[in-house]
Amino acid sequence: MCWWIRAFAFLEVIAHLQMTTQPFKDKPQTVFQRRWKKFKTIRRGWYSFQLLLGMYLLSFLLPVLVNSKALVVSHGGELFFPAIEELLPFVGGYHAAKDLGIYDPRRPERLMRGEANYRLAKSQYEVADQGDWVLLTPYPYHPIENLLKEPGFDGRPPTAPDSVHWLGTDNRGRDVLARLVYGFRISITFALSVVGIAYLVGMSVGALLGFLGGRVDMFGQRIVEIWAALPFLYTVIIISSMISPSLWILVGILSLFYWIGISFYMRGEFLREKAKDYVAAAICIGESRRSIMFKHILPNALTPIVTFAPFAIVGGIASLVSLDYLGFGLAPPTPSWGELMGQGLSNISAWHLVLFPMGALFATLLMVVFIGEAVREAFDPKVFSRLR
Amino acid sequence: MAAYFARRFLLLIPTFIGITFVVFSITQFVPGGPIDQMILNMQASATEGGVGGSGSTVEIPPESLAALKEHFNLDKPFFVAYGYWLWDLVQLDLGKSYKYNVPVIEVITSRFPISIYFGLLGFFLAYLICVPLGVLKAIRHGSRLDIASSLIVFAGYSIPGWALGGVLLVLLGGGSFLDWIPLGGFRSEGWEDFSVWHKITDQLHHTILPVMAYMVGSFATLTILMKNSLMENLGQDYVRTAFAKGLSERSVIFGHALRNSLIPICTGLGHAIGLIMAGSYLIEKVFNIQGIGYLGYTSIVDRDYAVVMGILVINTLLVLIGNILSDVLYVLVDPRIRFS
Repeated sequence: MCWWIRAFAFLEVIAHLQMTTQPFKDKPQTVFQRRWKKFKTIRRGWYSFQLLLGMYLLSFLLPVLVNSKALVVSHGGELFFPAIEELLPFVGGYHAAKDLGIYDPRRPERLMRGEANYRLAKSQYEVADQGDWVLLTPYPYHPIENLLKEPGFDGRPPTAPDSVHWLGTDNRGRDVLARLVYGFRISITFALSVVGIAYLVGMSVGALLGFLGGRVDMFGQRIVEIWAALPFLYTVIIISSMISPSLWILVGILSLFYWIGISFYMRGEFLREKAKDYVAAAICIGESRRSIMFKHILPNALTPIVTFAPFAIVGGIASLVSLDYLGFGLAPPTPSWGELMGQGLSNISAWHLVLFPMGALFATLLMVVFIGEAVREAFDPKVFSRLR
Repeated sequence: MAAYFARRFLLLIPTFIGITFVVFSITQFVPGGPIDQMILNMQASATEGGVGGSGSTVEIPPESLAALKEHFNLDKPFFVAYGYWLWDLVQLDLGKSYKYNVPVIEVITSRFPISIYFGLLGFFLAYLICVPLGVLKAIRHGSRLDIASSLIVFAGYSIPGWALGGVLLVLLGGGSFLDWIPLGGFRSEGWEDFSVWHKITDQLHHTILPVMAYMVGSFATLTILMKNSLMENLGQDYVRTAFAKGLSERSVIFGHALRNSLIPICTGLGHAIGLIMAGSYLIEKVFNIQGIGYLGYTSIVDRDYAVVMGILVINTLLVLIGNILSDVLYVLVDPRIRFS
């Protein structure tokens, strides 16, 4: 046997020995498991991840936490659960004021029309003292509820923070805290959807261009170049100014531009990986193209776009806030951070309309950036070696 | 090499045609395009002028509708209309702004001074601060200074520039807290009559916050780019060789490593050509500066589509040329790179 083959085999044995000395204690780990473990050791990112995920999951319970609808109403021996019903699909939790015996405060002989005002119900039940009661949510205001006619509301909106409205009200007399927390849910949902769709499209296009190469690549790159040269936010604003989009249409419009960067990454990775020996080996043993693309190249091409994902989310949130600020984002009554900032910046003395949304935006983005930093460290550790 | 760049410039033409095609079709096909908006505007002004509250829709006279359609070439098939528009574009005729009633080119070029002022200032200040900071962070990697400045970098990345500008405006603009900074605008009213010294201080007073807002955008990325680039070079073999032959740390870092690590920073300079159209609508709206960005924003609000398309076309052209210039610079600063 040739000496270098023996040397090579020997090296293999040593490497194997070294590897087998410890890992037999617990189960072998996949690359992803190891990276996930590493990610958890980076505290700043891991805590941010837990906090943000927890807050986002909690935000789906917002109808029972921050809502003008009451949790429980007991009227005439009957129980109603308006806020809890709102959590269920297709129920909505609408109850008419007359069904709950709520009177018009200005004309006490008449029942109120329209939807019940549960804060009013609470005070009326307490005065009447007939065994009816109301259990309000912890923060009993709704983000799109106009509070101008509320009995305790004094002064002209926007009002500064006080003990009732913790972060004040906006210029239509809506509660800022309620708008902020609902805006959080919308912002994150929006960013996750945009990034999700953009990744799906960008990865497919990039992978196809990189894998097929040649003329397809040449032609595809020209089309991608056209998209990439369009000023992204400006074009979105133009489209948005024409059709005043709903949440999902806006997600679609933004995804139209977001996939480009991802396709660049993916194309580059596929071009690089395609030329490696393991792909040649896979071709030699007769693997199908599909299996080569998905089973062989794709897992190896994922690292850069996984590390890119948190920063794409930062971009998504920032884009939504910017669009809302300019007035070309989500349609008006939707609670949004950018819209609040817009109100505050056009009325510079309403400082709470700028500083609170800005704080929320900053805290959220900072947490996502910390997650991104940790993900990069775990997935793509850069070891800098240097003398001295 | 010359052949490569000649080909790149030739490839500009199909790409540019593709972009104009996309832009043109957006404004033509989307419901509520220019003509519908104009009709709406005319109806609105007619109802305001006429008997209020009648609620009946005002008929647009057919002849003025036809004139409108002819003006926008909407009476012609799509491709013919596109051809007309492109032909005008090639002759540098971007049409007439219906709001200002002057050619679009004049409207846009009148905003150039403001854009160039803020663009150049922000650009140079960003490089002036970020490059030394990045170098310092790389040399003292892991030190307290590195960690502290990293936190600032993270914070900078987490704030959109316009939002930071807005917060500073609220804090310093005299609304509720301190009154140090004017509330926006490019200059104070009556600036022309000020004394020279007053002119300068007034200009600086109006400049400082917008420029900070502009810089935040590039601060984080540029600093990290500089740091990583230098760190990478410090781990290279030629640096070890330089140390091994007994050079001082200073000459190794500044004489050898830094020069190579500036390469990725230099290539970004190609996009400096975009400075003449620089101007974020967000920042200019926050500070009420009448630059290109604000023009773009207001012309969308006013449905002044000739201006909107003009800005879009000039912008994309500059981006495309900037890409090529970056590659040219790349070749110039890094002799190892050969395009073919």
